[in-house]
Amino acid sequence: MILFKDVGFEYEPGQPVLQNINLELEPGQVVGLMGENGAGKTTLVKHINGLLKPTTGAVYVNNIDTRDTSTAQLAKTVGFVFQNADHQLFADTLQAEVAFGLRNLGFSKEEVDNRVAQYLELFGLTRYGGQSPFLLSGGERKRLALASVLCVEPKVLILDEPTQAQDALQKAKLLNFIDSFRDPEHILLLVTHDVEFAIRAVDRLIILSNGQLIADGSPNQILSTPRLLDRARLLPPQLTQFAHQMAKQFPQFPTNVTTLDETIEAVNQLLRGRR
Amino acid sequence: MAAIFEAFRFKQKATFMHSLDPRTTFFMAVTFSIIGMLFLQIIPLLLVFLSMVPFILFARSTRQWFKSLQGLAILAGFILIINSFFISFSFAISTVLRLIVLMTAFSLFFLTVHPDDFALALIKMHIPYEFAFAFSMAVRYVPTIATETETIRDAQMSRGLELERGNILQKVRNYIPILIPIIVSSIRRALQVAESLESRAFGSTAKRTSLYDLSLRKRDYAMLLVTTFALIFALFVAFVVRIQFPFLLPDWFFWSLPF
Repeated sequence: MILFKDVGFEYEPGQPVLQNINLELEPGQVVGLMGENGAGKTTLVKHINGLLKPTTGAVYVNNIDTRDTSTAQLAKTVGFVFQNADHQLFADTLQAEVAFGLRNLGFSKEEVDNRVAQYLELFGLTRYGGQSPFLLSGGERKRLALASVLCVEPKVLILDEPTQAQDALQKAKLLNFIDSFRDPEHILLLVTHDVEFAIRAVDRLIILSNGQLIADGSPNQILSTPRLLDRARLLPPQLTQFAHQMAKQFPQFPTNVTTLDETIEAVNQLLRGRR
Repeated sequence: MAAIFEAFRFKQKATFMHSLDPRTTFFMAVTFSIIGMLFLQIIPLLLVFLSMVPFILFARSTRQWFKSLQGLAILAGFILIINSFFISFSFAISTVLRLIVLMTAFSLFFLTVHPDDFALALIKMHIPYEFAFAFSMAVRYVPTIATETETIRDAQMSRGLELERGNILQKVRNYIPILIPIIVSSIRRALQVAESLESRAFGSTAKRTSLYDLSLRKRDYAMLLVTTFALIFALFVAFVVRIQFPFLLPDWFFWSLPF
């Protein structure tokens, strides 16, 4: 469990980036974190693996106070995949890249070899195993970055903008992966601007605006509230926009729809009513 | 590590120093450096240093300058130890002072001259445009690379990298996972920038006109004059007085620590 208790953070004295953050993340949840550029999303998630320590308040990961713990110690529990894969790839081969985190955390040689093979396979990269990571395509590099963090099997996973510059197929694969990660042991935190992806991927959505939490609830409820989306500078999902247009013509049309199924249901209802 | 970049991060401010022509500031920085290189005695170097402090204050950049000195601390410590060990503590102090003088002279320049103005100044000094442009691009990317370095360090630390682990050789090797991504992404970016420059017709005409022009004003001439006098005086002291008539110099000039 991750607990933020009255967390405040400032890089420069007197300029708070985060204020009064109180947040509890339970295992079994896929949580989305959204907010405008500069809202403090990355600053917030960097507190979870101790890259940043709160200026006021405290952050607990499985009851461990991050103020007393190094990022390396937390790396066993918290995996963090950064936005740009090129910021972490460095090794001569894909195998060495995946092994890096495992070796840092002191896994046995045998275990390292097993997991390297297992995770390259899982992300469809086995045939490139002995090649240089820099010869891979953009999408493959992103997958390698994910594999090299996941191989440690962290209980908490943070993905920063995983859908950026990914095509529909890669997004679908990512969605599959997220679904496989959704179990009673794991917490997944997804930082994203991609509204359409968030609706399909997350169970719970948190909106951060100007360093403060302004909403926390089901994606359906939040993404169909224009006022909140406006503050976080997000556009409502296309289907919600459609619903709002429909409601102008047909006042009985519900505006809180976000998914395709809900929209079809609402249209069917409307048609039945008019028949 | 990243603090050293602070010295070269230009910030626009409305101060006397910022309003000078880049050529004037460049001449001042070079002059201070030359004077710093002429002497290796503690008191003269201290005087050179103290004469620069007002300019730092005028430029209202004390904090940034101070940060850059902090960034220099490791190197300074290294010089101090090596020189004390092989020569003398007194010599080590003056070497460190010289280093501080050089750093201050050039951070004064980079803190108060906009990179674009500097490129313009180079062109005015008849340096080919391609070179001037390359230089201003290099300066322009220093803060970008500094920010990127921090992100890369965070990413690798998240994978369990401990920079402080192991003996000195191991500690150096710990930086490989940070250095390689910096180099790779800098090369990628250089290629992208080159392509984007070409697609905007970089170098298509031999003679290029510029939107802004530089001109020397009264304050520039005044500063250039003062600086020239300072340079001539220092050269005179260093090469004429110190060699031919050292007895004319006061005792404090040669003062040094006894160990």
